[in-house]
Amino acid sequence: MLAVTLAEMRRSAGRLAAAGVAILLGSAFVCVTLLTGNVIERAFTDAAAARYGQADMVAEWTSGTGVHPATLTRVRTLPQVRAADPVADTTIAYQAGDRTVSQATVGTATSPDLDPQTVASGRLPTAPGEVALPVHLAAQLGVDVGGTVTVTPPADTTSDGTSDGTGRRTPVDLTVTGTVDDPHGAFRDTGGAAVVDPALLDRWRALDGEGAVFTLAVATAPGTTPAELTRALASVLPDPEVRTRAEVAQSNASRLTGGTDAFTGVVLTFAAISLLVAALVIANTFQVLVAQRTRMLALLRCVGATRGQVAAAVVGEAALLGLVASGAGVAAGYLLGQLALVVAQAHTDLPLPAAVTPSVASVLVPVVVGTLVTVVASLVPARAATRVAPLVALRPADAPHVDRKAGASRLAGSLLLVLGGGGLMALGVVAGYAGAPQAGLAAAFLGGTLSFVGVLVGAVLWMPHVVHAAGHLLGRFGPASRLAAANTLRNPRRTTATATALLIGVTLVATMSVGAATASRSLATSLDGVYPYDIEVDAYGDGTAGTPSLPADVLRRIAAVDGVVAVAPVTTATMAVAAPDGRTSSDSEQTLVLGVDRATAERALRDTALLDGLDDRTVVVSRTPWVWSPPTDGEDAAGVGLRPVGTDGTATGPVVHLAARAADRAPAGGVYVTAATLRRIAPDAVTTTAWIRVGDDAGAAHVVSDVQQVLSDAGIDAGVSGLAAEREGTQDVIDTLLRIVLGLLAVAVVIAIIGVANTLSLSVIERRRESATLRALGLTRGRLRWMLAQEGMLIAVVGTVTGLVLGTAYGWAGAGAALASTGGVRVGIPWVTLGTVLVVAVAAGLAASVVPGRSAARTPPVAALAVE
Amino acid sequence: MDTLKSPSPGHPATGGTAVATGATRSASAVTATGLTKTYGRGEATVRALDGVDVTIAAGAFTAIMGPSGSGKSTLMHLLAGLDDATSGTVDLGSTRLTALDDKALTLLRRDRVGFVFQSFNLLPMLTARQNILLPLDLAGRDVDGVWLDVLVQTLGLGQRLAHRPGELSGGQQQRVAIARALVGKPDVVFADEPTGNLDTRAGAEVLSFLRRSVRELGTTVVMVTHDPSAAAYADRVLLIADGRIAGDIDDPTPEAALAGLDALRSLADATPEVVR
Repeated sequence: MLAVTLAEMRRSAGRLAAAGVAILLGSAFVCVTLLTGNVIERAFTDAAAARYGQADMVAEWTSGTGVHPATLTRVRTLPQVRAADPVADTTIAYQAGDRTVSQATVGTATSPDLDPQTVASGRLPTAPGEVALPVHLAAQLGVDVGGTVTVTPPADTTSDGTSDGTGRRTPVDLTVTGTVDDPHGAFRDTGGAAVVDPALLDRWRALDGEGAVFTLAVATAPGTTPAELTRALASVLPDPEVRTRAEVAQSNASRLTGGTDAFTGVVLTFAAISLLVAALVIANTFQVLVAQRTRMLALLRCVGATRGQVAAAVVGEAALLGLVASGAGVAAGYLLGQLALVVAQAHTDLPLPAAVTPSVASVLVPVVVGTLVTVVASLVPARAATRVAPLVALRPADAPHVDRKAGASRLAGSLLLVLGGGGLMALGVVAGYAGAPQAGLAAAFLGGTLSFVGVLVGAVLWMPHVVHAAGHLLGRFGPASRLAAANTLRNPRRTTATATALLIGVTLVATMSVGAATASRSLATSLDGVYPYDIEVDAYGDGTAGTPSLPADVLRRIAAVDGVVAVAPVTTATMAVAAPDGRTSSDSEQTLVLGVDRATAERALRDTALLDGLDDRTVVVSRTPWVWSPPTDGEDAAGVGLRPVGTDGTATGPVVHLAARAADRAPAGGVYVTAATLRRIAPDAVTTTAWIRVGDDAGAAHVVSDVQQVLSDAGIDAGVSGLAAEREGTQDVIDTLLRIVLGLLAVAVVIAIIGVANTLSLSVIERRRESATLRALGLTRGRLRWMLAQEGMLIAVVGTVTGLVLGTAYGWAGAGAALASTGGVRVGIPWVTLGTVLVVAVAAGLAASVVPGRSAARTPPVAALAVE
Repeated sequence: MDTLKSPSPGHPATGGTAVATGATRSASAVTATGLTKTYGRGEATVRALDGVDVTIAAGAFTAIMGPSGSGKSTLMHLLAGLDDATSGTVDLGSTRLTALDDKALTLLRRDRVGFVFQSFNLLPMLTARQNILLPLDLAGRDVDGVWLDVLVQTLGLGQRLAHRPGELSGGQQQRVAIARALVGKPDVVFADEPTGNLDTRAGAEVLSFLRRSVRELGTTVVMVTHDPSAAAYADRVLLIADGRIAGDIDDPTPEAALAGLDALRSLADATPEVVR
């Protein structure tokens, strides 16, 4: 049977290759993920060990007095020790001219092996009056080799006689002997380390009260084992703990990178999704292969092959395909991983290894998983193969069909999953609104997963109807379109499987995009209520003439800043507020009342809720109180009395009674009237505040600093605050995460597109005679190709549109569950992203038809006359 | 067999009194001159057709008969514009097929030629009606409802139009195929072993329909067959052997056709042919 299998595989090489690409991509994905995990871990490990230079071992004492200079001297004389240095640092402020920068500082290593940094220029210090600075620090301070920096030693907090005895901090000048680089990231957190003579470091550390050194980096004599070193050190200082550099690095790294495994886990999830899609493509391919070979299989059965042998032939073929394809996937994965590493090295200053490290797992896991997935995917087609009756060999074959009615159990299972999962999802959203976002998100995630499995299981039941409807729509566009639609409908199961493969990827893409858009919009909205402006400029005046204010020409210049969309000036005045029941506010309840010009404020505010109902006879107060207790709902109609007071707290005008309205979404403690009203009550009020709106793509940080520049140029001491920059930062994080996730999902989509191409090629082979008949009947080559292109696009559109609809629903639900407790969920639909997905899918469907279309168009019309 | 109702007034055919001989016809439907087709090169060269001159009369039922491998199918492919000739010319009416490119040939087949295949070649996903109308559909031409009714009634397909090919018997499928070939009122209908996949009764039915479409609807039919009794339905039988025209029988009887075929066989005795 093996010979038959191999012969069949050769005959179907093209088909199998196309299916194999799906597995190749999936297993390459797994491989790259594992390799990336390795690289990240190694980068962390290297960094974790970098502090010890090329030390062979690290000795630590967890108790005792620590390593004193005398002890160190004795350690260095041990025959097992080539060199030993204390692992110690302190932070020192270096000054040159008017610039002062604090920098981690270490002692000069006594052996190059123990030096974690490299010399960039000059040399390392050899005397207490010298220092070597990190390259960037030298640049920051503007000193060169040979120059001088001043250090102020730490305050004298010890009384052990190592200080100068005065208790004062005496500045010391040091000569810069060189600059150092930190290529291994030994001091990444502190941006490298300055190097001074060890004696000077000891003195500073003592002054700083940092105490004794408990860790030594040791370069050992050749052949020394950790146990030997332990014994030798114990003779000098009891109870040392000696570990090799690698051991220390490992344990440090695992502390640093509790996240590496999590990272690998998350990415592997996406790899699993890709493999699932690949499995669909494989199952599809094998189903068609079995259908195509119906006669051959029947012949085998006729000549005595058992059902088991037939099934084994199919599964064996899958296993071989899976093995070859995933092996190629591993090779591709290594190439990709190495390529990514080279690119990453060029673009970051992280200390990355030069080459990926092959690990057993990164080879075995993708191959095993890829082969398994292929074999499992072939099981259903293999079962179909066993059902071929020997008799078929003796009958003229009609068009092969592997078409089974979907069972009632499938319907029941699918419905159960969809309804149950949907219910769980709804529960999650409810829980989210009820203030349990963790539980809500968990429930929504579980529910979403379950219902999506239900949707996929039931795809055979509902997808054909969607294909049908879409086909009828397509059929309106001429005969080639009608034929394409009819072709797509003739094997709904295969069309469904193909579209489902695409559906998976697209649904997840849409879920992520909609979820991210909804999240960022909801977060923005909840921030908008609290900070309705992007930037607030506050001159801290109380609004009376002569106190700080924002002159009109400054406001004009702010409005002219690049990126500023609108500026609303706000006039202010200090007032005493009287509640309607006559509770006149005490002095402490005097508050700043803001006069807002509605027209300009509407343009400048993101959330205009506080302007609702604001008119010349109404005061709006935030419901969240600050100094003054706002009216409750029942008191709204009664209104409040406002009375201007001077800086000394005395009333400067009569009480003015106004209707009041409490606003839910307004900055806490705010009291707002129209600018006209404020002028009426306090005629002298000036503009002390401005609300600024920044364009959405403006780069908020730059706008903020430009506005600050305008203010300082004008000599105005004003506070610039607001969430513009934070908002943009949050948005950046969400966008970056989304981009990464979409990149990972793209692999699944690419595999699905290969599936579309595969399905089309198989159809073309099956329909050779039909294609020839159509050509004989007068279908031009171009229109035959166009017909296939439309088939491809129809499948792609069906899979994509259903995926987009599903994904949008999932995205809403997920964001709802997670964010409901933070305030109102604002549904955001990233139309551009979703539209792009659709366009890309249609284009991919079109592209997928190119090769099959060409082979179909090559069918000579004479083939229609051939008799099988 | 029932007498056929007169064709629709709109149809160009003038009536059911077609004369069998080509002599009274002013036009020839297809003319081939010096038609040669070779496959392979060098030692392995096969001359499937070797300088054939033939004229197919318009409004007649012509059978091309010969043993397997005689070149009869190749001749039909070339006459119908399905394949390129190595040398020689084919004219369909006043159009020189041998000068046309693939696209022009395709459009010519669509608009002026009908095909009936041995294995029916209906599109399985289309209903009988959709299959019949396919050529018009491809050409974007309007359906002549009256003509379609005539065809459907003549071929007895009235009850079967909504069925898909899988639900039809072989004879019914071939009748649908004939309707498909005739619906566009082509200049010539080519039928390749149209009874090859049918039992005797269904085969006789199909041949009768082909003959009636010539006699009563004015169609020109060229049929390739190896079956003398099928050839006897034709007005004229062209015998072909070894890529050359080997005989020409007007108004054949099955016996005459068989005698002709037997004569060919004895000619080609040295290389025994396997006849289906």
